[in-house]
Amino acid sequence: MNNYAVRTEGLTKVYRDFWRRKSSSALTNLNLTVERGEIFGLLGPNGSGKTTTVKLLLGLLFPTSGKSWLLGNPSSDLTVKRKIGFLPEESYLYKFLNAEEILDFYAKLFDIPKKERKRRVDSLIKDVGLIPYRKRPLSQYSKGMLRRIGLAQAIINDPELVILDEPTSGLDPIGSREMKDLILEFKRQGKTVVLCSHLLADVQDICDRIAILNKGVLQVMGGVKELLSQRDVIEFMVKNLSEIDIQAVKSFIEERNGDVVSINHPSSTLEELFVNIIQHHR
Amino acid sequence: MTLTIAINTLREALRKKTLHVLIGLGLLVMLILPAIPTTDEPDAQVKMMLVIFFQVVVLLCITGVIFLSATSLPCEIEDRTIYGILSKPIARQKVVMGKMLGFALLSAMLLAIFGLLNMVVIQRLASNLPEEYRGIVKARTGFAASQFDIQGKLHHTREGIAWVEGGRAGIARWTFSGLRKNPANKAIFEAEFNLKIESSRGFADTIPLFVSVEDANRHQWKTEVLPARADKPFIVKLGAEGVQENSILHITVFPVHPADYIGVTAKDVKMFSVQKGFVTNYAKAVVVTFLKFLLIVVIAVMGSTYLSAPVSIVSAFVVFLCGHTLEYIKDFSLLIQCHDMHEHALPAMLKKPNTLLVYMDYLLKKPLEWISFVLPDFKRFDSLKFLLKGIDIPLETVGVSFGYTALYAGICLFISAIIFKKREFF
Ligand SMILES: Nc1ncnc2c1ncn2[C@@H]1O[C@H](COP(=O)(O)OP(=O)(O)OP(=O)(O)O)[C@@H](O)[C@H]1O
Ligand SMILES: [Mg+2]
Repeated sequence: MNNYAVRTEGLTKVYRDFWRRKSSSALTNLNLTVERGEIFGLLGPNGSGKTTTVKLLLGLLFPTSGKSWLLGNPSSDLTVKRKIGFLPEESYLYKFLNAEEILDFYAKLFDIPKKERKRRVDSLIKDVGLIPYRKRPLSQYSKGMLRRIGLAQAIINDPELVILDEPTSGLDPIGSREMKDLILEFKRQGKTVVLCSHLLADVQDICDRIAILNKGVLQVMGGVKELLSQRDVIEFMVKNLSEIDIQAVKSFIEERNGDVVSINHPSSTLEELFVNIIQHHR
Repeated sequence: MTLTIAINTLREALRKKTLHVLIGLGLLVMLILPAIPTTDEPDAQVKMMLVIFFQVVVLLCITGVIFLSATSLPCEIEDRTIYGILSKPIARQKVVMGKMLGFALLSAMLLAIFGLLNMVVIQRLASNLPEEYRGIVKARTGFAASQFDIQGKLHHTREGIAWVEGGRAGIARWTFSGLRKNPANKAIFEAEFNLKIESSRGFADTIPLFVSVEDANRHQWKTEVLPARADKPFIVKLGAEGVQENSILHITVFPVHPADYIGVTAKDVKMFSVQKGFVTNYAKAVVVTFLKFLLIVVIAVMGSTYLSAPVSIVSAFVVFLCGHTLEYIKDFSLLIQCHDMHEHALPAMLKKPNTLLVYMDYLLKKPLEWISFVLPDFKRFDSLKFLLKGIDIPLETVGVSFGYTALYAGICLFISAIIFKKREFF
């Protein structure tokens, strides 16, 4: 029964100031379940408590009340962290190290043997596209490059559960696309992904289930398809149809008492256009 | 894992500008200060180098190390790089231990670099020293007299010092035995005289002294008339043959001139066995100094588990300074304790009846006693005084410093771990 990737029970966090006076209640009675192997989106506007939830799960904060489990173990359990990867909301990395050094450092914290460490560092640097900059200190990295290193360190231990707090922030469109592909790749490898974001478009494409928080309170939780499907609307997508045939289909639908809301040529998104152009010029 | 954190900490420190400036400054001090003219004593330069290293350079390094170690954790928390560590499977106390270890490594590195450099300079300077001044680059072990008496007339005694009049009116005698315990040890011996002199012939800087060293078992003796100076101890060398396994040495002294006086106590003549162990002795001094670094690092990191960077720096420095003035703090708390019993021991301002004095006991004495009990005693780690006198640092001293540091650091580590475990990272 406790075979969820993430489970919280009545998780509540009240931030207090130095004098222990209540300053804000960031999370109220959160009951969350994430199945193993799914991509789970934790959504909500700014300040809704997404980051607070993640920090509670990782033990960086202690809950005011409630409990949480990761991969079946209490989240305070140290050993369970071996199987977890975490990308913080911003790139909090040692600026005095270079890409290789910092990945090696984090790998060492997982007690990965030297040979294996070297192999993983090399392949991760390649995967996040930073080979030309591998010897450059992080103080000279751009925001997006730091994000890429952040992602690489999050998966250095080949985790079962990856927690990503706003993974696409600071990434260029290609980076975002690669990030999405990577997350889908995680799913193929059987990993569980918890994704915090308020970019609904990103989430819609890749998440299996989502939860929406507002002011620290869970609003909805469920499968993306179920939550987004409008059962009384049907969209046809047709190629190579003449104008006369379109009119014929339209009148056929109207004959059967259906309302035609719109007939559109599906357009590609701006992101796709951008990605196409940039990749064309490489 | 602790080591991983430690090495990363060390690496961060080594890439900091602060440290580069510090090392540059240290080198500058070691290059420039020796050029300052000293007294014409041939060994003054060597002493100067010792003082420069063990006081100036060490202080500089300690300042740097306090600065870095007190800010390290607060900066990680401020920059949130701590998230990256604490989301990995590493216990929080290991993070604290790693920090401490990292700065201990840094201290060891600094001490090794500067210590070696200083050693090389000293060896070069010492190679030009005339033989009678090479005492400074030796390691001597001191022996106190087993017996002390005055033969003949004792002129008078003042504040525990016995005064002997010259011209054989009285003779001061120190007896030493059991000096050479191991006959295979061929160390040479020397006697150091630290007498007070006075003269009724008017102001005298030096007076002639009759000194004799007699081996009671072997009926051998040597006598000399030596000029004794008021401000400087003098040394009589006995050589390796002068002291045998069963030797009982009588050292007798009196001023040659009847109008001269010497003031003596049992401790004023000491026997030293001299070994050529300067390098070992110097290494011991550096090790003891390292323990001092270790202690301040542990204290600075402990403070930084709870305090913000600036507060943490200030408090570490305050502890460091108070730890050096511990004796004064203790003295002061004693002074307050004694105010009703020995009124004359108080400064004049406190003599007048004062209602505050009644409360002083609770307001000042108790807190001061506690402070002096809790604060680390950094004076313990003063090894320069041994080196300057060319005295072998006893192994017990090193051992006791070691134990003290281990105990103190252990307690600090324990407290730090508890504090750090309870912390939340926003
Ligand atoms: N250290 C803190 N002290 C007091 N209140 C805090 C603290 N950190 C966060 N909060 C409050 O907790 C609430 C939730 O913050 P949280 O960072 O979890 O939001 P979020 O959903 O991650 O937002 P965003 O999308 O902007 O990242 C906010 O109202 C915030 O003001
Ligand atoms: Mg957030």
